[in-house]
Amino acid sequence: MSRIGVFVCHCGENISRTVDVERVAAEAARLPGVAYATDYKYMCSDPGQNLLKNAVTEHRLDGIVVAACSPRMHEKTFRNAAKSAGLNPFLCEMANIREHCSWVHEDRDEATAKASDIVAMMVARVKKDKRLVPITVPVTKRSLVIGGGIAGIQAALDIADAGHQVVLVEREPSIGGHMAQLSETFPTLDCSQCIMTPKMVDVANHPNITLHTYSEIEAVDGYIGNFQITVRKKARSVIEEKCTGCGVCSAKCPQKKIPNTFDKNLGTRPAIYVPFPQAVPNTPVIDRANCTWFKTGKCGVCQKVCGPGAINYEQEDQLIVEPVGAIVVATGFELYSITEKPKGSPIKGYGEFGHGTIPDVIDGLTFERLASASGPTGGKILRPSDGKEPKQVVFVQCVGSRAREKGISYCSKICCMYTAKHTMLYKHKIHDGQAYVFFMDARTPGKSYDEFWRRAVEEEEAVYIRGMVSRLYQKGDKVVVMGSDISVGVQVEIEADLVVLATAVQPRAGADTLAQKLGISYDSYHFYSEAHAKLKPVECATAGIYLAGACQGPKDIPDTVSQASAAAAKVMTLFAKDELEREPIVAKVNEKNCVACLYCKKVCPYGAVEEKEIRDRQGNLIRVVAYVNPGVCGGCGTCQASCPSKSVELDGYTDEQIMAMIEAL
Amino acid sequence: MTPAKKLLSYSYYPGCSLHASAKEYDESTRGLFKALGIGLQEVPDWLCCGATPAHNVDELLSLSLCAKNLSLAEGVEGDLAVACAACFSRLKVTQHHLADNETKRKQVEYAIDGTVNLAKPVKHLLEILAKDFGLDRLTEAVQKPLAGLKVACYYGCLLTRPPEVPQLDCVEAPTIMERVIGAVGAETVGWSHRMECCGANFTLSRPGVVLKLSGSILDSAKAAGADCLMVACPLCHGNLDIRQKEIEEATGQRFGMPVFYMTQLLALAVGVAPGKLGFDSMIVNPLPLLREKQLL
Repeated sequence: MSRIGVFVCHCGENISRTVDVERVAAEAARLPGVAYATDYKYMCSDPGQNLLKNAVTEHRLDGIVVAACSPRMHEKTFRNAAKSAGLNPFLCEMANIREHCSWVHEDRDEATAKASDIVAMMVARVKKDKRLVPITVPVTKRSLVIGGGIAGIQAALDIADAGHQVVLVEREPSIGGHMAQLSETFPTLDCSQCIMTPKMVDVANHPNITLHTYSEIEAVDGYIGNFQITVRKKARSVIEEKCTGCGVCSAKCPQKKIPNTFDKNLGTRPAIYVPFPQAVPNTPVIDRANCTWFKTGKCGVCQKVCGPGAINYEQEDQLIVEPVGAIVVATGFELYSITEKPKGSPIKGYGEFGHGTIPDVIDGLTFERLASASGPTGGKILRPSDGKEPKQVVFVQCVGSRAREKGISYCSKICCMYTAKHTMLYKHKIHDGQAYVFFMDARTPGKSYDEFWRRAVEEEEAVYIRGMVSRLYQKGDKVVVMGSDISVGVQVEIEADLVVLATAVQPRAGADTLAQKLGISYDSYHFYSEAHAKLKPVECATAGIYLAGACQGPKDIPDTVSQASAAAAKVMTLFAKDELEREPIVAKVNEKNCVACLYCKKVCPYGAVEEKEIRDRQGNLIRVVAYVNPGVCGGCGTCQASCPSKSVELDGYTDEQIMAMIEAL
Repeated sequence: MTPAKKLLSYSYYPGCSLHASAKEYDESTRGLFKALGIGLQEVPDWLCCGATPAHNVDELLSLSLCAKNLSLAEGVEGDLAVACAACFSRLKVTQHHLADNETKRKQVEYAIDGTVNLAKPVKHLLEILAKDFGLDRLTEAVQKPLAGLKVACYYGCLLTRPPEVPQLDCVEAPTIMERVIGAVGAETVGWSHRMECCGANFTLSRPGVVLKLSGSILDSAKAAGADCLMVACPLCHGNLDIRQKEIEEATGQRFGMPVFYMTQLLALAVGVAPGKLGFDSMIVNPLPLLREKQLL
């Protein structure tokens, strides 16, 4: 005869407001096999857990049902409490009477009746619970970092400094990301290159870091502690080991007119190029789409002039398999473009701003390149159309951000600050110029941030106009900005020489594809989702995968670096153990019944099902059955549901238990 | 021989302006449709749609006026063709508004003492020409291509707004007027004030506002190198054509910019006699321009 304990939690008022918890406990006490039932205000608190532990010993309980919140929240808490009271932790179950009951119902009587039903079901189930022992799996103490921007660089350096091997994979030919494109950074106005490039060099020189640039993630297999990553190293057409980075090839390349994407297409570059002079690695890459050799088979100048003989036109993409134990995703962001969007895109363009056809209307990153000492103008702020110095510049905030009608409802977070910075940089370089900013409200929550913004307004005399811009159009060599000043209720028209749009921060194109390869979740905008907004902000719901930087949502540099270090700390925590404990809730095959139809293998999302041969003593093959690799099994139960002969069962969720729950209703 | 063409036929709601100040819009619309072989039958006994003032004063009145017209239109076959941008807007708004507001609908039905039928498609002429009739067929029908005529297409406020109601074309950067007039050989200019307000009804109460707003429309069209403006709204026409002289006096700029209704230019291109297009009732004389371009 079982002796079950039922503990009903008030969750402050979250549950007790709609559920009569005392009645639920009283009814639970009358259920067969229940030896003890009680209620308490905060069951997860220290006294609450003590109450549970004492009850286990006092009433000699052999099973526990905690009627409280979702098991996602506190199952671990209560299982640990049960364990410390000497009970096998898997004999403790949770009845979810918060998310599944009190939060979704209003009628107190109905909700109470439902809560009692839920408790009854879980009591029926816990009686059939078996003692389970956690599974241990080995950990590969190497980690993968995807993305070589400041987030990826910081995470890689932290993990590598802790003594673990890191594989850093970057899509572009050089690491550095967007931060390498910036001129100065807020709120200190220190030079971005000066704080960025030493870190880039550290990455390249670090003995524990393997750097794959111009590479992408091809495939991801495995699970926490034991991932197998296939990296596609795209053909550079340059042999990295031989190249000395002398730059003769780029200088002699007859193709010179290719728009420089690093400079936001403001300048040009040759077909064989390094993205920017401080690039790491300083090895050029041939842009095959624009190279004369690859287009016509004629030219070959770079090969002729290359002293070390590093040019190889026949080079092919390489697939490299890297075993790792943890993954940090740091793929960063890109800026919303106001151009016409393809039909069917949920995000819209800006017809009223000319769909990006006015040359002197640029985005924030383009302005960064104009202001950067290493940019196409050598740091002189000159407008793209005719190279003249702009005397009136209009900055427009919230372009695409916080605009549901354009398909994006979130705030891009960094634009208020970088626009304030832009007005300062502009004033520092063009003293007689005037900066105007159209803004909705200034959002500057950060250390020394509001002071910075006020400096732009009060000392640098940027004119802030509260209101939106309705239309931009070209008039002669000016761009007319039509807007409104809602604080005084008048329409404003400014004839600007240059317009800078603070466009929305979006995740990188292809973020969804990568997420699907990694098996992590993302929101409707394709930002990656953290496991818990407050308590697990750098973890993914998928174990062993961590997030850093703007791939998770708009973030400035300080936040990005903090999160990258946090992700690195999580990786180090994982690597601190030689073996990982995994929940033993895995599927098991009843080999006697299994007919090896292997439906389970077809449906398993984790690829955990294998074929197993059963042989007699002489080694003759008798038959084949399915086998579930407990290290890979995710415990989803899909195999159990699909097995026609009922030969697979998930521990903790056996058919017997499910039937018992139904019968208890 | 191309396959047999579908015979198109519409019920027609001209609205007050087309029977008064915008007679040439009405005449040229009838001429154009006749030349294209599209049937057009006027809704009998129609009444004013309430235009832009009614809904500012009494929403129920404005909805009822349009609902009455919609129910009258039931008696005539074919989708409802509308030329005036304001009438088009009010009829569409009424359909849109009553479709998901049962209470309003009941009030309106009580007011007009009849049922409201919202099923009949209300179509602006542009929609009929570009979508139902088709730009290819329009090009085929051309007898006198408007080659060399640089037209600034002016949409005004109502043709595409509010975004969820007319659904005529892209709300911020429409091209339907350009496509239609381009199909008959005219050249269109890219200009900035295609969708700015002309000042609308302020023409009576605060003409100063109209002089400024319409002035900048004319200015912008002129700067873009247009020979003339093309409109689809009698009120815009009034502000841009009738007040053009006043605007010139106020701004000291000389525009001399003929303001055509879209159907005048289209009808001219498909061979309707120029004498039937009401060019003589335009304030800014278009004849010198049309002669210069050898279109007369």
